[in-house]
Amino acid sequence: MKRLAGLPTLRVNSARAVSIEYDGKRFHGVEGDTVATLLYANGTRIFSRSLKYHRPRGLYSLDGQSSNTYVDVDDIPNVCAENTFVGNGMRVEPQNVLGTPEHDWMAFMDKLSWAMPAGFYYTIFHKPARLWPIAVRHIRKTAGLGSLSPDVELRGRFDQIYPAADVCIIGAGPAGMSAALAAAAQKLRVILLESRPWLGGYFDYRTRNHKPGMPLYLRGRQLADQLEQAPNIRIFKHTAVIGCYSNNLITAFQRGSEADCFAERYVQIRAESVVVATGCIERPLLFENNDRPGIMQIGCAHRLARTWGVLAGEQAVFSIGHDLGIEAAIDLHDLGLSIACVADVREDGCDPALPPQLEARNIPFYPGWVAAKAHGRKVLKKVTLTNLSGVCKQQFDCDTLVASAGLTPVTGPLALAGARLEYDAHTGYFLPTGIPQKMHAAGRMLGLEDPTAIELSGRLAGLRAVADCGMAVGATISGVEEELAKLPGPARGSKFVVAPVEGKKTFVCFDEDVTIQNIDQAMRLGFDVTELIKRFTSAGTGPGQGGIAGHNLPLYVALTHRSPDLHPRPTTVRPPLVPTLLATYAGTNHPMSKRTPVHASQVAAGGVMERLQPWQRARRFCADTTARAEIENVRTNVGMLDASTLGKFRIFGPDALKALQRVYVSDMARVSTGRMYYSAMCNEDGCVIDDGVATQIAENDYYFTTSTGRAGETSEWIRYHTRYDRWDFHIINLTDAYGVINLAGPNARKVLEKVVDGAVSNEAFPFLGFREFMVHGAIPVRAMRLGFVGELSFELHVPSSYMQSLWDILEEAGEEFAIWNFGLEAQNTLRLEKGHVILGSESEQRTTLHDIGLGFFWHRDKLEAQTVGAVALKQTENDTSRLKLVGFKMEEPAARAPRDGSPIVAERIRGYVCTARYSYALKEPVGMALVEGYLAKNATRLTIFEDDCKGELMKAKVVPMPFYDPTGKRMRM
Amino acid sequence: MALTITCPICGKRSGYEFRFGGEDKGPPPQAAGLTPAAWCDYVHRNNCVAGVQKEWWCHRQGCGTWFSIYRDTTKNLEVAGPQSEDV
Amino acid sequence: MATIERRSPVAFPVRAVRSTKIGHWTVVQQYTNEGEGPWLIDLSHHPRWDLQDADIRRCKPFPVNVPVDPGTCTLDRGLLVNRMNRTQCSIWHLLGDTPQPPADPVCTETTDATALMALAGGKVFAITEKLTNLDLTDPGPKPPFLLQGPFCHVACQLVIAQRRDLDGTLLLACSRGYGQDMAHAILQAGEEFDLRPAGEDQWRNLLKQIQNERSERF
Repeated sequence: MKRLAGLPTLRVNSARAVSIEYDGKRFHGVEGDTVATLLYANGTRIFSRSLKYHRPRGLYSLDGQSSNTYVDVDDIPNVCAENTFVGNGMRVEPQNVLGTPEHDWMAFMDKLSWAMPAGFYYTIFHKPARLWPIAVRHIRKTAGLGSLSPDVELRGRFDQIYPAADVCIIGAGPAGMSAALAAAAQKLRVILLESRPWLGGYFDYRTRNHKPGMPLYLRGRQLADQLEQAPNIRIFKHTAVIGCYSNNLITAFQRGSEADCFAERYVQIRAESVVVATGCIERPLLFENNDRPGIMQIGCAHRLARTWGVLAGEQAVFSIGHDLGIEAAIDLHDLGLSIACVADVREDGCDPALPPQLEARNIPFYPGWVAAKAHGRKVLKKVTLTNLSGVCKQQFDCDTLVASAGLTPVTGPLALAGARLEYDAHTGYFLPTGIPQKMHAAGRMLGLEDPTAIELSGRLAGLRAVADCGMAVGATISGVEEELAKLPGPARGSKFVVAPVEGKKTFVCFDEDVTIQNIDQAMRLGFDVTELIKRFTSAGTGPGQGGIAGHNLPLYVALTHRSPDLHPRPTTVRPPLVPTLLATYAGTNHPMSKRTPVHASQVAAGGVMERLQPWQRARRFCADTTARAEIENVRTNVGMLDASTLGKFRIFGPDALKALQRVYVSDMARVSTGRMYYSAMCNEDGCVIDDGVATQIAENDYYFTTSTGRAGETSEWIRYHTRYDRWDFHIINLTDAYGVINLAGPNARKVLEKVVDGAVSNEAFPFLGFREFMVHGAIPVRAMRLGFVGELSFELHVPSSYMQSLWDILEEAGEEFAIWNFGLEAQNTLRLEKGHVILGSESEQRTTLHDIGLGFFWHRDKLEAQTVGAVALKQTENDTSRLKLVGFKMEEPAARAPRDGSPIVAERIRGYVCTARYSYALKEPVGMALVEGYLAKNATRLTIFEDDCKGELMKAKVVPMPFYDPTGKRMRM
Repeated sequence: MALTITCPICGKRSGYEFRFGGEDKGPPPQAAGLTPAAWCDYVHRNNCVAGVQKEWWCHRQGCGTWFSIYRDTTKNLEVAGPQSEDV
Repeated sequence: MATIERRSPVAFPVRAVRSTKIGHWTVVQQYTNEGEGPWLIDLSHHPRWDLQDADIRRCKPFPVNVPVDPGTCTLDRGLLVNRMNRTQCSIWHLLGDTPQPPADPVCTETTDATALMALAGGKVFAITEKLTNLDLTDPGPKPPFLLQGPFCHVACQLVIAQRRDLDGTLLLACSRGYGQDMAHAILQAGEEFDLRPAGEDQWRNLLKQIQNERSERF
């Protein structure tokens, strides 16, 4: 097909050819083509088949307002051909067809439309009930448009960007561009978001004069040049706004061009002030078969020619409701399109300068006439026009019908931000009221049509945004307001008109195949509110998100209603305003996890890593999931655990002790130098949230540890619970500053004494002692004798940068004993054998200190400290109705251990297993469980349910803890 | 959530940087002679104002400060305190 | 026999050309193909302290002044002091030597608590806007200034040491454990701007530039 060449408005580069594969055949176009324009230029008229009725659908708008031109591109379904640029070698397939779009074997569905009234899936196939499973299978098969292979991988990079701005402007038409220039002139940082790939809005393709000698498109490009030169304006082209939230948070996504390093990127902007200048779209004209390929909107036909150099057809009829339609008819006639006639739905009110121009071109003009019916089995062949009363009719042969009822503003961003939309009888628009503070509307969406007034209203909005940023521009604003008042205000719009038709195939919504007959049905059934009619008929719920149905639906409902006081109101708009890939929302999303200082050597040693809260930790180092070898090595020899993830804190200052007394349940005044002191923290309900050890380093200076999970919140917790006290103390989170090695096992001392500069004998460094050593005279180590795993063990805290060296030194020193790593799994079994709890395993949110048997830590006589949880601990002290922590063994020692979390049942659920493992030391399974008080007595039978137990409950009995080394002499060795 | 919160140290920031610390209910009552119900009320009973309420927030991803702000719960927007309004 | 070494949490996937020993640290002076910038430089071996006191202005662990307002910084004789809040400062020693640690108990050594990196050169703030929604190009505060907030979703201290449009020098400290992922995330985001790892030599040059610029201004 021959392209119009040499037009100054073109946005394609005819010198460079591109091609795509479509439906197995190769098609050629030019650089700058979208998939839709390339295919249209090659003669494609039917792009897809509709959702329900499989009606042929073609190019209607050019901004993706409906799913008519959704295609499958390189295995990605539902790609909108209208705003997807052609890339060389693209493979495009039509979707929702059985066969081809021209010959679709499912086309018979259109004949069955009588069987699919509004909401049919709510009302039929339900009785008899046995039909439903069959019906559902077939409905699922036919529902939806494209299909996605589960194996498909999205190519390209998905990125995100958070550009900083003072003023954000949505829409780069004349108003938006003027607003940007006004704000940029005040040295503010301005961001301009434009959904099309270039600036200019509806100036961009029009040759009408703005001022003598200055056509609109040139004016648009003049403004665009000024913008591109302003250093403080950032322009995001091909960027659709998807969300608009309170405090001026704007979200959008940008499609990357071939020069960009991203396929799409998510854009999030927090601006001080926002200008919405989104302009208008066309309101579809409602008539019979208004969806036939060949029928398109004014802007579509006009831009197709002016921007892409493609004439929509050979012979056209216009049925329009706005001067833009007459202007397009004149322009397209001059470009070579033969025009049979122009029908204007308005009886009067058009620009008086336009009809003479039609006359001069011998184009018949029919004011007060409208298209009533389109003919043609698959594509448009002719059209019936009628006057509004339907008395007179006339048919015209044509392959193109430019149909549009009038304009309607694009209010999505304003509506999302919370503005209300009120119907305005003069313009026929839904105009925004109650726009949130620091947000302004400008341009055509306010009903303005005079190009100078549009630009000036943009300038005014830009200046108001400048004022929002705290700059004194009040005088300038008043000046512009006065100037604007002298220019033409909002123009009278076309009335809402429905051609006198039956409405069986008059589509309100293309995406969901909803006709005005469906709307009538819904109203006959009693649905009176637009919002409910939308849901019942599904009009406007498709991917076009109300682009087609949006404003016609409420207007049609209001017109059809007898009630005179019914104010039409558009249905609620929700983000995303346009369909957005989940990959775009996700962005790069680089995983962020913490690594311990010996991470690399843990991995090298065969550590099976897992994420534990923010950290990467080694679960085990052997193939055996029970970590038997690691456990036995600790029990009989010596092992090393990387425990660097423990929370570590310094607290100092005159009121440090008071702060500790506030959050720890014990009497922290007993914390002294050279010794570790174990205690726990509770919340206000007495539920235990953390445990750890503390020691005193100097006067009013303490070092304490928390569990891994609490490390991030401890400073916050202590400050929260002292927020009314104005105490003088300081906390430093040293969690990452120190690595921790737990050197455990009967041979631990023999290893340690080889490397430290101090005595480590049981007398010099007893159980619960705290000592500071130097290793090889260079590495400072804080050593604690603790017994979490129940053997002689030293917890060594070492500056993180030295940790790998200390690890290597200990490994070397322990070589003669075959020292070996152990991981979390081994530690879990080792501590279980000792009956030591891990908060979160042996407790949940509702578990108090008393419940897990640690009530003795609570020091009841420090009332003045107002310890967090103390009141609740007192109140729950003798509560017998609570779950208690018990130890258990299986009745049959040969049985396996129940799975963690299995419920304990006796008629109903009476508790659950916290942790249970096979104990290699005791040669039978042991476990801990939280059970109802009456089951907590020694030797009570516990019956345990597992999902797949088939009624065979596991039987266990309560036994005293600890299971292993009950007197604790091994950790005191 | 598009809420912004003004930290007294770091200024206006995205609400995601903060942790909610509940309504400002004043310091906890003295433990001596406190009934279980009175304590429970202090901890768990909230006024749930539909309108402007004073509440605690912590700038957890920033400077770590606890502070209080006024927030209009019906609009989820930070507002100036009632003393500066002509109510 | 195992040697005693201090290790940085950050390792770059490029070969070092030249390294020197500073104490137990092995500091890479130069990497292969450092390019023309922007650069990512690991400064984790530079000594750092936390200073906290109710009356912080009176503390003098070093012969430099503590900045008055939270969010402001002073850079004096290679010591960068960042005022974090009413009672707290972080102090970063940015020269190459090892200073005597202060004996004052209001100071806590935090060298190993964080990973410290410098992101410097052209288009630095085009990289950062991909990683944080914090406004690093706010024309209000004058460099050097401190922002505390999320970077790659992780709480960080960010010091904008120098800025000219999108170019400049940013110092970033995050919890040490995040160091490796942070470096990787920054390098990945900076790929399109040809961001490359650089060594201590490059840092020396930058620091000189920053200090000269400051002395010109005052």
